Amino acid sequence: MDIVINVKSSSHRIRNSIATIFGIVVLAGCARNAPQDTWQPKGDNAQIINNLQWIVFPMAGVVGVLVLGFYAYTIYKYNDRGQPIPSQSHGKPVVEVILTIIPALILTVVGVFTFRGIFELAETEDTEMIINVTGQQWWWEYDYPAQDDQGITQPIISSGQLVIPVGTKVLLRETSRDVIHSYWIPALNGKKDAVPGRINLLRLQADKPGLFAGQCTEFCGLSHANMRMEAIALSKEDFAKWVSNQQKAYTAPADGTLAKEGEGVFLNQCIRCHQVNGLKKVDGTPAIAAPDENVYSGAAPNLSHLMSRNTFAGAKFDLLNKKCRKDVWGASPETIGVKYLSGVSESCLNATDLRAWLRNAPAMKPMYADPAKLEKSGGKYRGMPNLGLTETDIDKLVAYLLTLK
Amino acid sequence: MSTNELTLTPSQSPSLAKGKLVVSPSQSLGAVRRPVNTTGWREWLFTVDHKKLGIMYGTVAFVFFIVGGVEALLIRLQLALPDGRILSADKYNQMFTMHATTMIFLFAMPMAAAFANYFLPLQIGARDVAFPRLNALSFWLFLTGGLILNASWFLGGAADGGWFMYAPNSGPVFSPSNGVDFWILGLQIAGIASLIGSINLIVTVLNMRAPGMTLMKMPVFTWMILVVQFLLVFSLPVITVALVLLMFQRSYGATFFDVSQGADPLLWQHLFWIFGHPEVYVLILPGFGIISEVLPTFSRKPLFGYPFVVFSGASIGLVGFGVWAHHMFASGLGPVSVAVFSMATMAIAIPTGVKIFNWILTMWGGKIWYSAAMKFAIGLVILFTIGGLSGVTHAVAPSDTQQTDTYYIVAHFHYVLFGGMVFGLFSGFYYWWPKVFGKMLNEKLGSWNFWFMVIGMNMAFGPMHILGLQGQPRRMYVWTEARAGEGLFNFGFWNMVSSIGSFILAVGVLFFIINVIKTTRNPERAPLDPWDARTLEWLTTSPPKVHNFDRIPVVHHLDEFFHRKYEEDETTHTMKQVATGADLVRAEVAAADVDIHMPGASYWPLLLSVGMGVLGMGVIYGTPIMVVGALLVLFSAYGWVLEPSVPEAIDFDTPSTDGPTKEIAPVG
Repeated sequence: MDIVINVKSSSHRIRNSIATIFGIVVLAGCARNAPQDTWQPKGDNAQIINNLQWIVFPMAGVVGVLVLGFYAYTIYKYNDRGQPIPSQSHGKPVVEVILTIIPALILTVVGVFTFRGIFELAETEDTEMIINVTGQQWWWEYDYPAQDDQGITQPIISSGQLVIPVGTKVLLRETSRDVIHSYWIPALNGKKDAVPGRINLLRLQADKPGLFAGQCTEFCGLSHANMRMEAIALSKEDFAKWVSNQQKAYTAPADGTLAKEGEGVFLNQCIRCHQVNGLKKVDGTPAIAAPDENVYSGAAPNLSHLMSRNTFAGAKFDLLNKKCRKDVWGASPETIGVKYLSGVSESCLNATDLRAWLRNAPAMKPMYADPAKLEKSGGKYRGMPNLGLTETDIDKLVAYLLTLK
Repeated sequence: MSTNELTLTPSQSPSLAKGKLVVSPSQSLGAVRRPVNTTGWREWLFTVDHKKLGIMYGTVAFVFFIVGGVEALLIRLQLALPDGRILSADKYNQMFTMHATTMIFLFAMPMAAAFANYFLPLQIGARDVAFPRLNALSFWLFLTGGLILNASWFLGGAADGGWFMYAPNSGPVFSPSNGVDFWILGLQIAGIASLIGSINLIVTVLNMRAPGMTLMKMPVFTWMILVVQFLLVFSLPVITVALVLLMFQRSYGATFFDVSQGADPLLWQHLFWIFGHPEVYVLILPGFGIISEVLPTFSRKPLFGYPFVVFSGASIGLVGFGVWAHHMFASGLGPVSVAVFSMATMAIAIPTGVKIFNWILTMWGGKIWYSAAMKFAIGLVILFTIGGLSGVTHAVAPSDTQQTDTYYIVAHFHYVLFGGMVFGLFSGFYYWWPKVFGKMLNEKLGSWNFWFMVIGMNMAFGPMHILGLQGQPRRMYVWTEARAGEGLFNFGFWNMVSSIGSFILAVGVLFFIINVIKTTRNPERAPLDPWDARTLEWLTTSPPKVHNFDRIPVVHHLDEFFHRKYEEDETTHTMKQVATGADLVRAEVAAADVDIHMPGASYWPLLLSVGMGVLGMGVIYGTPIMVVGALLVLFSAYGWVLEPSVPEAIDFDTPSTDGPTKEIAPVG
């Protein structure tokens, strides 16, 4: 508690308020359960940044305390106590030169470390795995190209959560399908913008299994605040299991089940934008989504293996209910793999939000989904429109989605 | 040549013998004559007097300060609690866009222009700026731009792309309302205002200084304003180009930022920040200039290291053009560019540090009077130091990739801009109020004003350091418990502290407004030299006469006014007073010049600005409106050209025989 008092009272005493900054630096490491803390690196890249932070923040703090301390003394000492008007000295060049050289020297030291850090972070030659990350309003797509040494024999397309193996140097190749977004998992690295028409590289590496939070950090329009992401690092064995599950063939629900009826609703409505790999139309031909005809970015999340993820709708909502969600977030590095790979069961499903989303998506997350307002985008949506589903349709759809393990 | 007034010459005019002012109509364009009747509201609408324009700049800018402030308070209300419901996502995005746009373009720049307009000619011993009608045009264009920007609130919604308006999010598909169009046109017109103003002030400083005032005897405020005008001259054309490109993309189907047509959206970012970073120094340097006057005055010492302060100001301006890409460290520039801009950004900390040291050393050994103006100046030094140091932490580019687009940056630039600029402007209000209005602002209320602002400011922006380092991104209409964390540094507590702080800050500003109202009602006149000041603007009456100085001063020293009052005692090396400021002012009045020629009022700057506004609206509402606007602009420009800037007849004349108490009053 004394820390709170310290920080608060500093705000009131401006002469000491530099201590606030310094206090933050020292104490930020003590923050508990702050999912986006920029001072808790969990991998090499973030560690390089953190090392630099530990140089520049204390330096700034010390300089601040010295300068403002001296200033406080000046303010106190030369208060008008009836002393005569002083000689009109215009300064001493020697003092000026010294006070120019000292900061220059300090900054040179910081600069040398910074320089090294910049080039270390730009290193990509020893990359062990590649994931293509594509931003669009307002979600991220993760596309794992086939990579034999990672056991990925056919491309995996996912969204909502980035899944990576621990101890592996992963290279994200970022781009965007509409406006500029920015990919940021603070525990693993700093930000890198996803710019349409460009491919930007960002390296991530996680030391231990865990779940790391992030947030789109380049303003990307209406629902920018709702464009979140999560990264899950799994042990290499668990990652292999995840990969093999993602590559598992589609199994249609058994005839006569509610889920089977849900597949029908899906084929009737959702398939216009959302792909489920292996899904077949009633006539037996492959059901292919055509989001480019309906959505401005030309993409909608691929829902194959939806229930292997913990989130939906740009990671704004949890697929897991609160209890199960807490179980995964709170898991130790040893147990998180098992818990994550168990996916979303019917008892763990956050049915409330999922049903509300299916009922009227634009009411849950601000989007450009009102047909009357799409003149300038040629009638194409940005986000998911209200599909006007009945409650029975929703029952069926939820039952179907639960089969997409 | 058909009216009586035009044929009058000083020797023929009976009224001139009585020392009265005559404004003569001109015959330009036949129907519309040069305004004669410059009393009442016309006195303000058609004035070309730099002082009246300064007051109008200040008044309008302050109104926009309130507007931007209310927007800020709405933002803080929304963010006080998780999942705020005060504003919708759409309204919130408009709110933060317009908060920044308003504060930067409609408050900070014009308020600095207000100070520059009013005091720059006075500080260099000039009677007006070089081009008085252009000066009026600047003001009216700025007002037009400001009104267009804010009209968008009532005409389909304001711009919603952030003040940086990154492409392609600013394109017609992603921002389908007219808000961005209003934003483009408003800024374009306000930009013309600034560009014209900057050329005007540069010419004024370079050509119209009093005899003996070499550049290195020029007051630091004037110096910093000069540097700012050069920054504007070189940076505004860049944003003008960017805005034209965006306008053509939005209104006429061009594809400058359309990726599907091969464009690179980073083009906008480079253009924007090549303007945008010098703009930061455009905002901050006037504040530096103001406190470089206030700190010496209230310490009774000259500015420590005057040439170092001047040259560091100039080098901040210069290097300021070479650091723009530090706004783009996450954009994917590649390590070489990032390294270069990272180093350049660190380099700019050096001249900035020099300034801070010199301000502190100015006070060292002084005889300090802690007036309200001085409190704000000291506040600036402290808050700017904090903001400057947090700035160094993101000059380290890798560290910046964690901080950028988080509240840490919001904290940083509010310490730098609110602490650095707004505190400077408030210091200027208290310091120069008696000069402008002839009345003293109440010091006690000034103290309340200061303490509420400084506490509110630290409560509002201090916690944002914590929030940012805890990973709360900017520009989000809601924050969520899911990412808030627990313990001392959770988002909930500090967002609440910040919101409460913002209202304390608002109360501080309210104290200022109360102070202004009280002071205006108070009949008591201010002394001629209330602060024992140092520079030429105090060597005349308060408020100054239309022609500023009864006699153009001859300058021998830096801080000329102070050195006319004091001489150094050769044995003790302390200063002894040989004259009071009031004595000196009375001596000037007594020795007033004859034949002072001042420019007359003009309709054209106002009309031309209206035309520009209509022209701008035509871009949004169709060609017929544009044609009307263009015709009005053409008509005004012709009228302007045909109107002699110095009419054949003498505008006014003050015979010295009328004695020292003679007031020069306009006649109808």
